[in-house]
Amino acid sequence: MLKKYKPFLRASAMDLMAYKFNILIWVIVTIFEVVCLIFLWLAVYSSSEGGMDASINGFTYKEMIAYVVLTTVFGFVTFNNDTMWHINQDIIKGTIGNYVIKPISYRGKFVASNLGSFLMMGLLFGLPLYGISLGVLIGIGFLPIVSVWDFIAHIGLFLVSSVLACLLNDTIAYLFGILCFYTSSAWGLNSLKTTVISFLSGALLPLAFFSPIFRDIVGYMPFAGMSQNPILILMMKYDYWQSLKVILISLAWLIILELFVKLLFSHAIKKVTVQGG
Amino acid sequence: MHYVKLYFTCIKRSIISRLEYKKDTIISILSFLFSNACSLCSIYFILQAIPSLKGYSIAEVGFFYGFSMLPIALDHLFSDEFWLVAYRRVQLGDMDMHFLRPVPVIFQMFAETFQPDGFGEVIVGVTMMIVCGINLEATITFGAVFVLIIGAIFGAVIITSFKIIFSSLAFIFKRSGPLLQIIYNFTSYAKYPISIYPKFIRIILIFVLPFGLFVSLPINTLLYGSYNPYLLSLWIAGVAIIFFALSVFIWTRCEKRYESTGS
Repeated sequence: MLKKYKPFLRASAMDLMAYKFNILIWVIVTIFEVVCLIFLWLAVYSSSEGGMDASINGFTYKEMIAYVVLTTVFGFVTFNNDTMWHINQDIIKGTIGNYVIKPISYRGKFVASNLGSFLMMGLLFGLPLYGISLGVLIGIGFLPIVSVWDFIAHIGLFLVSSVLACLLNDTIAYLFGILCFYTSSAWGLNSLKTTVISFLSGALLPLAFFSPIFRDIVGYMPFAGMSQNPILILMMKYDYWQSLKVILISLAWLIILELFVKLLFSHAIKKVTVQGG
Repeated sequence: MHYVKLYFTCIKRSIISRLEYKKDTIISILSFLFSNACSLCSIYFILQAIPSLKGYSIAEVGFFYGFSMLPIALDHLFSDEFWLVAYRRVQLGDMDMHFLRPVPVIFQMFAETFQPDGFGEVIVGVTMMIVCGINLEATITFGAVFVLIIGAIFGAVIITSFKIIFSSLAFIFKRSGPLLQIIYNFTSYAKYPISIYPKFIRIILIFVLPFGLFVSLPINTLLYGSYNPYLLSLWIAGVAIIFFALSVFIWTRCEKRYESTGS
């Protein structure tokens, strides 16, 4: 049953290998951005009432910098699907027709290729990037480790929530991709998607900084599980019980969203206008 | 005069082709509004927790952020085509038609696209400046307003010049998009007062990649009267003109290396 999706998984992993150079450039771009953010946070903490030792919304400046670095690595490793772009191309070129008549699910194809690139990205860049950043953060004392076993258990929980985050991201990309059926172009929708995700997932700023009501609402949306929660698990800011809770919320959202996109797709496919074909 | 007329004719064509996807255009303007609103919210949430950022109040940082959007937005409106040159067009060799026309290629690049998305940023930027400007304690002088206008316009010229320089490298290396991306992303450093950065970054932001020059210094002039507005205007305009001349020179040198696909 799942075997027929394996080629997609492998193809997307190979694809990534071919673009190693681009990925390297992105690492450089990202490093400069992180440096800018670190200076901003240092300025914020040094201007705060408690000085550098202050804890703002439950984060000390060390934790904040660890959060910024890890979130960046996380986004880099986890969110590299181009589901939306592929759907858009299928609509523009009319190749969407091929998938409707083939005995594989259009959705399944994307899940497989997304997992493929996630695995490849994780092994090729994730391991060294997480290794270096965690090593440095622990080494300079920004991420204190009390018990090694506890840390390893949190890494395990983090991996589970990472996979969920990757799948959630793909589902949301797919959802926006289907919306392209209605707008015929992906440019605007794609930037809207990126913004919504980076803001509501806590990638720009931990949700603890939001105003209380807003924070509670956003906390129960699927986005928090896409960036903030996995990172807070890794940083051991969540205990086991909290970690389990956020993982279950993500899982529930994943199921709800999958059912929703299935319904939406069956409506949208009737709308499709193949241009030329 | 001929060029002005030509420019508007081309731009009209660009807008018409963009409006083919009406819903998408509206969504992309909205998403720019939304994305800027999100960054503003983030900054607001951060600043709410502290009394001031290195002496800048919330209103001042908001004004700063709003102002920093204007040069970026102006550049975005007029010179979006250079991204395509850097990433794709030279590599694919589909620029033959531009080289056959009796008009400079670089002019055609400006005339090729008018990017209405930039209006979203202009709207947010100006709104921010008005909302936060009301709460500023600074006395607004004519000179300060003058230097802000100069900073916005010539700041856009500086950003565009960097775009031209690094996209013209595509004629040599076939693809310079990622490199352009690295340089362009430094504009995000201009969104905050340069006093939050250590000294060597400040020097880079004023003299090497002058993205701090046209945002931070004019605003300090408005808020604290740190610099003589007219001398500063002259400096910004001078730097912009030098960079622009340099970029056009580099472009005209590089475009000679363009290779068609031959098909």
